[in-house]
Amino acid sequence: MKVIKIIAESSKSTLKHKLRTVLIELAILVGIATLTVVVSLTQGANKRIMKRIANFGSDAIMVHSGGGKMHGPSTVQQANLTRKDIADIRNIAGVRFTTPIQVELDMPLKYGNQFTTAWVMGVEANWQDAWRRGAARGAFISDADNEQLSRVCDIGTTTAKELFGKMNPLGENILIRNVSFKVIGILEKRGQSPAGTDFDNLILIPFSTASRRLMNQPLYTSMLRVIIANPAQARQIAGTISGILRENHRLAATEEDDFRISTAEQVAKMIKSTSKTLGLFLWLIAVISPLVGGIVLMNIMLMAVSERKHEIGLRRALGAKKKHIIFQFLTESVILTFSGGIFGVGVGVLIALLIRHLGKPISISWQPFAIAFVISVLIGLLFGVYPAKKAANLDPVEALNQ
Amino acid sequence: MIELKDITKSFQNGKIQTDVLKGVTFSVQKGEFVAIMGSSGNGKTTLMNIMGCMMQASGGSYTVEGVDIKTLDDDELSEFRNKKIGFVFQSFNLLAGTSALDNVLLPLVYAPEYPDDATERAERLLASVGLEDRIHYKPGELSGGQHQRVAIARALINDPAIILADEPTGNLDSDSLKEIMGILQKLHEQGKTIILITHDQNIAAYAGRTVFLRDGKIYEGAK
Ligand SMILES: Nc1ncnc2c1ncn2[C@@H]1O[C@H](COP(=O)(O)OP(=O)(O)OP(=O)(O)O)[C@@H](O)[C@H]1O
Ligand SMILES: [Mg+2]
Repeated sequence: MKVIKIIAESSKSTLKHKLRTVLIELAILVGIATLTVVVSLTQGANKRIMKRIANFGSDAIMVHSGGGKMHGPSTVQQANLTRKDIADIRNIAGVRFTTPIQVELDMPLKYGNQFTTAWVMGVEANWQDAWRRGAARGAFISDADNEQLSRVCDIGTTTAKELFGKMNPLGENILIRNVSFKVIGILEKRGQSPAGTDFDNLILIPFSTASRRLMNQPLYTSMLRVIIANPAQARQIAGTISGILRENHRLAATEEDDFRISTAEQVAKMIKSTSKTLGLFLWLIAVISPLVGGIVLMNIMLMAVSERKHEIGLRRALGAKKKHIIFQFLTESVILTFSGGIFGVGVGVLIALLIRHLGKPISISWQPFAIAFVISVLIGLLFGVYPAKKAANLDPVEALNQ
Repeated sequence: MIELKDITKSFQNGKIQTDVLKGVTFSVQKGEFVAIMGSSGNGKTTLMNIMGCMMQASGGSYTVEGVDIKTLDDDELSEFRNKKIGFVFQSFNLLAGTSALDNVLLPLVYAPEYPDDATERAERLLASVGLEDRIHYKPGELSGGQHQRVAIARALINDPAIILADEPTGNLDSDSLKEIMGILQKLHEQGKTIILITHDQNIAAYAGRTVFLRDGKIYEGAK
């Protein structure tokens, strides 16, 4: 009961000293809004990273032609995987199946008077199972298409939009580097690759057509996707593949790999390392700015205590114990930081929505609300305790004489 | 009921020590109305602060209803003030921006139990000092005399054993002065113990007994 009465005194006091209330709430608002935006940004980024990693596939291993440390696909110009390489890899225990990919980046495309460029990949029918992705509309490239070196293609939604606008592309013929291909299907939407490129700006054609007709690389394959039975074996199988390729390519112990192997684990690591620096900097701001709010609170509350000495002395004369005064001032601090925090989350969410509107990945969930709730109360307690103690320790007579 | 024995009080200001009270001995019986007179600066307020448990004496003993105040810690002193003392100050000391009713209720915030009939009690007290139609007025909307009447109602809300009034009319015009003294007299007639501090002979005349504070000591009766 007494607690409720003192809380009532505290809230009356926050209403009475409006300027002070507004200043403190503003300071806390800025801090909590910053925190909210950073939490939303981080969550948005994490969500996108998780999606990219999921897009790679946890049961997949990618084998790229050509060595080095670059990320992203290997092109047909680098192709050095032989038929024997592929057969050997397929025979490793734990490998379910493999699918070869022949890649050429940014190939010129034309439909009517529309021009664009896209990645063109030569694939086999089991590409669908390997990527868990097929034709959303129309048909996917079949084994027969591969046997007959058909000039057919499945196109990604981004490419379709570039070339056809709102038109239906199915059945139309497009030119890929002046060779005519018939559109037989539209690929399911997929978003971004692990490297951050658009997985929907893509054209798939039969592997054989790509190798022999379009890209002129009948012997070697540029990439191989390996699907394994148990994701936990990814690292071990990647090691086996590396051994096989080094032996097949007759690499001496001193020579570097002339291929790259990536697993979901490595892809996750790669993505996280590139996004870490920005995150750290943002988090630094996010942590400092509520603290700045807390320091503002402490200063203004200290001023309030010296301005309100008379009131404190009077309350003491009328029977308030030290702990009552501490409780009153601490409650005032928490009321101010908590309400500032609520406004802060509101403003933060608005800013986050604005940033999302500008195209940045933002995830708005319950966490910022919980964090703001806890942090703003903590700041009120942490930075309010010193002014409150100072108020309680005033000499009642001196305070009353102010 | 109230016993002061050899109460001394000194203030240390840097190296200079001021001995304000030099052995105050006197007692007040229950239901008495005592005026403490003395010229300005001779320690009246200091004595009242000690009697009101706002500060501890440097020496001597002070007992109220058999309780030795020296033995109380800070929390117990607060509780003692809350339960046993009703202060009436020269400068009224109402909370600004707070209604007369809430000002009267303020001591109950710190009372061990908040009575169910608190609001009725406060309204009754405000009515008894003639403010039944000013209950929701804030101090800024009240005159000096009305301020002091609110303060008296506040002093009475916990039904204290002692009313301590330190020059309660010092800031009032003569009409308000008469009203306030009339109220105190009525309280005395109802059996309240009242200790009034003043340097005005005419005000002291309202009390049943006058003592004089001079050179840090109390002298009964004569000037
Ligand atoms: N905290 C203090 N520190 C030092 N000296 C003090 C302190 N409080 C009071 N004094 C001194 O003690 C003396 C008595 O002060 P007090 O306020 O008790 O006098 P008073 O009789 O109430 O005067 P007045 O009639 O003006 O109200 C004064 O000389 C004053 O300067
Ligand atoms: Mg005085």
